Amino acid sequence: MQPTRRLFFLAILAAGLAWIGISARTGASNLSAAPQAGFPAPDFSLQSVDGKTYTLSNLRGQVVLVNLWATWCPPCRAEMPAMQKAHEEYQAQGLVVLAVNATVQDERSAIAPFLTEYGLTFPVLLDETGQVSSAYQLRSLPSSFFIDRQGLIRYVVNGPVSEALLYARIEELLK
Amino acid sequence: MIELFRSLFTPPRHLILLVAAVWLGQSLAEKRAARHQVSAEALGNLIFYGLAAYLLGGRLYYALSHLTAYLKSPLSLFELGVSSFDPLGGGAAALLTLLVYGRRQKLALWNTLDALTPFLAILAIALGLSHLAAGSAYGLPADLPWAISLWNAERHPTQLYEALAALLTFGLAWTLKPAPRPGLLFLTFAALTAGWQLFLGAFRADDVLWLGRFPQGQVLAWIALAISLWLYERINSGDIHENGNR
Repeated sequence: MQPTRRLFFLAILAAGLAWIGISARTGASNLSAAPQAGFPAPDFSLQSVDGKTYTLSNLRGQVVLVNLWATWCPPCRAEMPAMQKAHEEYQAQGLVVLAVNATVQDERSAIAPFLTEYGLTFPVLLDETGQVSSAYQLRSLPSSFFIDRQGLIRYVVNGPVSEALLYARIEELLK
Repeated sequence: MIELFRSLFTPPRHLILLVAAVWLGQSLAEKRAARHQVSAEALGNLIFYGLAAYLLGGRLYYALSHLTAYLKSPLSLFELGVSSFDPLGGGAAALLTLLVYGRRQKLALWNTLDALTPFLAILAIALGLSHLAAGSAYGLPADLPWAISLWNAERHPTQLYEALAALLTFGLAWTLKPAPRPGLLFLTFAALTAGWQLFLGAFRADDVLWLGRFPQGQVLAWIALAISLWLYERINSGDIHENGNR
């Protein structure tokens, strides 16, 4: 019985190796844009509160943090000072913070006082039609997407980002 | 249906599934503990200390590997989020704690692993479901009647395959007659889990590729399968005794 079982186990392992060989990838996968780590970031073009137009694909070569937020969302408010600090500290090294306001579910008039209150100096974009919320399949606010220099999403954080986590992710991408 | 499930358990709410699995798995494991000559209380403590070590170790390891960031903001160490966490660091801390606690309590290794099997099997089911909720561990694009729409493509529902395979493994481990020697139940579970991970790895699209061709998960699963079968054979033939010694 024992030799039969050993042979059976060896056959399983040989079949496993064969399966790995059969299922080996042969070509580079061609991923379409999607809001998930490992995929190219969905492109967008939005106006900022000061009237400038920002297109994500034009920022290729830089590390981009896309943060979706709203003024009424307490965790969004809580993480804004950390976003501002990160912007000040890493901007010179190639970080771009794009704070995309989910204007479609926010009060347009509440944004300017919010920016003054928190002293935010990074670009704040207005998603008035919900195109970015839709393309990034927004399920909870805030949501942060860390995009590398090649335009690939490397990390997604649903919910508030702590200061250290923000620095850690950015430093990894700036290396 | 799947969309509703994903909306309901969208991250970070997908963790509810894992918490529920810990509760259910621990209850089931404690119920069967006596069958493996392990006290339910010792098993409960083992799970508690292991989980505590996993959570603390995972956070500490993450902080240590990103020391400059945490030196700038030390209070972030106490944040409630789960993104600043290293599963490998957590796993190592949990393993160390389990070994130390098990040795102190004089728990027999193979009996304890057998007693832990229902807990691990339930956790494996929840892991598949949490992958589905988070959209992680996604499959290759596929033109199949049961494909799911995820990340802008119709894909193999690898997370459902995973949950289903884990459910079948749990069903088998739960209904198997008591094994003649301690350790065989756990090793059967380990071999089956490694086996289906190896099989299903072929349909996953998110894996790191070794040598640009071979999915890392499949290779690791094959190694785990080989170790499980080798240990099974050694225990069954009496080369490894019940207390874990050779």
